[in-house]
Amino acid sequence: MSELTHASAPKRFIGGQLLGSSQLVLGVILAVLCIAISIAAPQFYSEANIIAILRQCALVLIVASGMTMLIITAEVDLSVGASLAFVGCIGMAVLNSTHSLALGMLAALAFAGGVGLFNGLVVTRLRVNSLIATIGTMMMLQGGVYLFTREAVQNHNQLASFTDLGAGYAGPVPVPVILAALIFVVAYVTLRFTTLGRYLYAVGANEKAVRLSGIRSERLKLFAFIVTGLCVGVAGMILSSLMNAGQPTAGRGFELTVIAAVILGGTSLLGGRGSLFGTLLGVLVLKVIDNGIIILGWNQDLQMVVPGIVIILATYLDIIRNRANVR
Amino acid sequence: MSVDFLHPGEGAAVDKDVPALELRGIDKRFPGVVALDNVDFTLEPGKIHALMGENGAGKSTLIKIMAGVYGKDAGTIRMRGREVDIKSPRDSLKQGIKVVFQEIALISEFTVAENIFLEGYPTGKTGSIDWKKIRAESAALFNRIGFNVDPAARTGSLPVSQQQMVEIARALAHEARVVVMDEPTSSLTPNEVSLLFTVIRRLANLGIAVVYVSHKLDEVFEIADTVTVLRDGRHISTKPIGEHTNDTLIQDMIGRRIDNLFPRQRGAAGSKIALSVDRLSTAKKLSEVSFEARAGEVLGFFGLMGAGRTELAKAIVGYDPITAGTISVDGQRLAPHDTRTGVRLGIGLLTEDRKSEGLMGELPVYQNASLASLGAFARLGFVDKAKEHKAVQDYVDRFRIKTPSLFQQVKNLSGGNQQKVLISRWLMRGLKVIVVDEPTRGIDVGAKSEIFALIDRLAGEGLAVVMMTSEMPELLGLADRIAVMCEGRLTAIMTRDEATQEKILNAAIG
Repeated sequence: MSELTHASAPKRFIGGQLLGSSQLVLGVILAVLCIAISIAAPQFYSEANIIAILRQCALVLIVASGMTMLIITAEVDLSVGASLAFVGCIGMAVLNSTHSLALGMLAALAFAGGVGLFNGLVVTRLRVNSLIATIGTMMMLQGGVYLFTREAVQNHNQLASFTDLGAGYAGPVPVPVILAALIFVVAYVTLRFTTLGRYLYAVGANEKAVRLSGIRSERLKLFAFIVTGLCVGVAGMILSSLMNAGQPTAGRGFELTVIAAVILGGTSLLGGRGSLFGTLLGVLVLKVIDNGIIILGWNQDLQMVVPGIVIILATYLDIIRNRANVR
Repeated sequence: MSVDFLHPGEGAAVDKDVPALELRGIDKRFPGVVALDNVDFTLEPGKIHALMGENGAGKSTLIKIMAGVYGKDAGTIRMRGREVDIKSPRDSLKQGIKVVFQEIALISEFTVAENIFLEGYPTGKTGSIDWKKIRAESAALFNRIGFNVDPAARTGSLPVSQQQMVEIARALAHEARVVVMDEPTSSLTPNEVSLLFTVIRRLANLGIAVVYVSHKLDEVFEIADTVTVLRDGRHISTKPIGEHTNDTLIQDMIGRRIDNLFPRQRGAAGSKIALSVDRLSTAKKLSEVSFEARAGEVLGFFGLMGAGRTELAKAIVGYDPITAGTISVDGQRLAPHDTRTGVRLGIGLLTEDRKSEGLMGELPVYQNASLASLGAFARLGFVDKAKEHKAVQDYVDRFRIKTPSLFQQVKNLSGGNQQKVLISRWLMRGLKVIVVDEPTRGIDVGAKSEIFALIDRLAGEGLAVVMMTSEMPELLGLADRIAVMCEGRLTAIMTRDEATQEKILNAAIG
């Protein structure tokens, strides 16, 4: 954990090693993957491929940043995939009718933030378990998007600034990667250095204790839901820019990739424990596997199979590590 | 199970000279506590034997050993003269001991009949469950105890009193020779109590030995043949009920004088009213509770289990909703009724349930200590960790909190040190009123006196301390004034000088 890294006493240093070794395991897995793939297929290390991997990571990392905060508060949002598709369609439709990227973005953020707010209210006010609540929202969105549009919303304006959102570069770096980096850094700083971040961990670790301390735990959870929604808004616009259309079918299974990355990164579904750095590693591992399967020319269906194995394996390693730490 | 469900134990229990159950020299230790020390307990068939003692005297430990929930560390158990080994609840049931716990252990989604025959459904020729037989036999069992419950009813839909009857019927189905009732009347109405007593007397007439665990004197005098009193894990007395009076029984339960174990450092309490509670009621428990607490005093609340102390504690800090009444801290009304307002006005709760309501076990000591005062260490929303750590370190030193570092996960500390961390949480915030609920629960004897000294110091520093406790020594040793609760009402309030143990217990029994 963060506070252990700048510790001075040797005892703390050992503690830091133990606590941080969840990320260590993941770092090793990542390194082994990279080395193995590049031995089998040297083009893995080409600049073009690395940029391709980073671009692949961007969408997942953006949503995973919000999702990490949410899971740290001991809640989860399964509706992000369905919301991603809907957001793209709405953003594109608004863009088409207003000719304004800003208004399109705003509509996308408002919609996705609204979905987060809805989820948050259902969970904190109606006290519906977030797993169930967000499955409900997911189904509503998956059906709702077809009420909104039967087919893909095409890009009528071809605004250059909109195309750049997904496909553009700033120097050698793709725009989505820059956006993802910005969101990641803001979320990272929030979780690590601010009172808000500390309260998010606290509410996940023991909500009753937080309430007894005079802190409004429901609002913290609501906040995490809305932030997750807003992240989906950004990701949805990037996705529709990349596809040059709002696709109602996009985003199927996206929620699983995002949650898998967060869990892989060592964030506990029980709340109170986790880190964004771990999430970053989790996203990288999953996307390097994806990329490797393509580069090696393996059957593409393995893109689902292999990450499944990796998640179980990494979680098991984590259990072994925890057991070893018990004195 | 091919037993005769309708005639348990009759014939077998005819020999009245052999005890139904005999416990000899039972020892039980938990880390840091001797729960039972060389306890003897003998039950005769057909007799109702009351088991009494204060909270923590060892009653529950003893019946849990009988039920096979705990193993004994030493001693022997004989059933009708034969030594037996009880290692699990299953063994206990097999030996014919049935314990009906306060928390009824039935499957609420099952029907009454299904619950009665849970351990072995009668089956027909094909191996399928014989439902007709189950229903018929359930009805016959209820007939025998003289109480009717619909065997087809869903158990969870029944009131507690009827669920108890289901448990008793289950005991008969298992041919139980010993039935233990653990505080059976704590959630019953007077009518239900007299019905239960009728059934218990019927059990005794069937030759079953009944153990009646209670701290309600009037009930014990009404139902018991014999009384055994435990205190601090030791056997104090076993006498026929006729040899006891109210006073002798209370004396056996309380025993030693205890008033000088608590060194008092603080001066006299001031006259400033820090907390004023007026006709407070909640939906479930409290009715019209009114009292005031002054700055610098310890106001102790005593009550038996279920008296409503914890409910009161949670209501006055704004955690649980109230239905009527007002709470004022330093003259300012606690409205809206929530903990945010409560903490702002300066009232906080030191919970009795540290693990589920106090500690963030996975998080380090310093984050646990600073939770309520994090805002004081923040600049523009960023935590000034150096300042925070210094403040926490200060409390770790002052309270001698034993922890390898501020970064240790708080779940790894001992109970006493965890409690000190939680007290620090409130002191760092700065309170006017602290409500402490069972402050020494789960804390080693040695650390207890340190917690007492801390509470004394809090009052000495001008806080009003409202202390909920079920421990008489704690109450008499620490409190300036004593309030007594019974069934959600305040039944007495007296100064320390006026108070006697008898007075307090009488008020607690109601």
